[in-house]
Amino acid sequence: MPEQKRPIGMSLPLPVLMGLAWLVPGLGHVLLGRKLRAAVFFIVIVVGFLMGIVFDGELMVPHAGDPLSYLATVASVGNGVLFFITRAVGLGQGVVTAAAYEFGNTFLLTAGMMNLLLVLDTHDIATGKKDW
Amino acid sequence: MLDHLSLMVLHALLISVFFSFLWKRDGQERWRYFLKVFGALVIGAILLGWAMYPFPRG
Repeated sequence: MPEQKRPIGMSLPLPVLMGLAWLVPGLGHVLLGRKLRAAVFFIVIVVGFLMGIVFDGELMVPHAGDPLSYLATVASVGNGVLFFITRAVGLGQGVVTAAAYEFGNTFLLTAGMMNLLLVLDTHDIATGKKDW
Repeated sequence: MLDHLSLMVLHALLISVFFSFLWKRDGQERWRYFLKVFGALVIGAILLGWAMYPFPRG
């Protein structure tokens, strides 16, 4: 019987695997050998994120006196490395007066939340709670 | 630039694809789930829009 190759992600410590899954959308699934799903997740999240930036959405950071901005920050940072690169190059500041500003925000926040769900999915696969 | 309806449809498309691959295992199941979620999001949003029609802002 041929020996089954163990995905590299299974030998990584769980926090490291989850961290990598958060940093790059779909990377956790690639490391666990789920390449098709990883590709789909990567495309969906990156397209959603880019749409958010193109439509003048804002990558949220905490604003004093605005409790909801903290929740929005969690969702924004959920985009992983996309968040940091985009902020570093000065994009994602948001144009409140733009017609599609709210749509842009929605795309950015949902992309981040989807990526955070992928981190949880990676956890479930790595711990054997999900076998596919 | 895309209008708001197109943006909403595109958003629904991304969400539906994501969840059908996250929660469903085989192709046929995924297609069924995708169509269900996509339909619910798009038709639901249009129905909600009409339901709010009698209550204009301002």
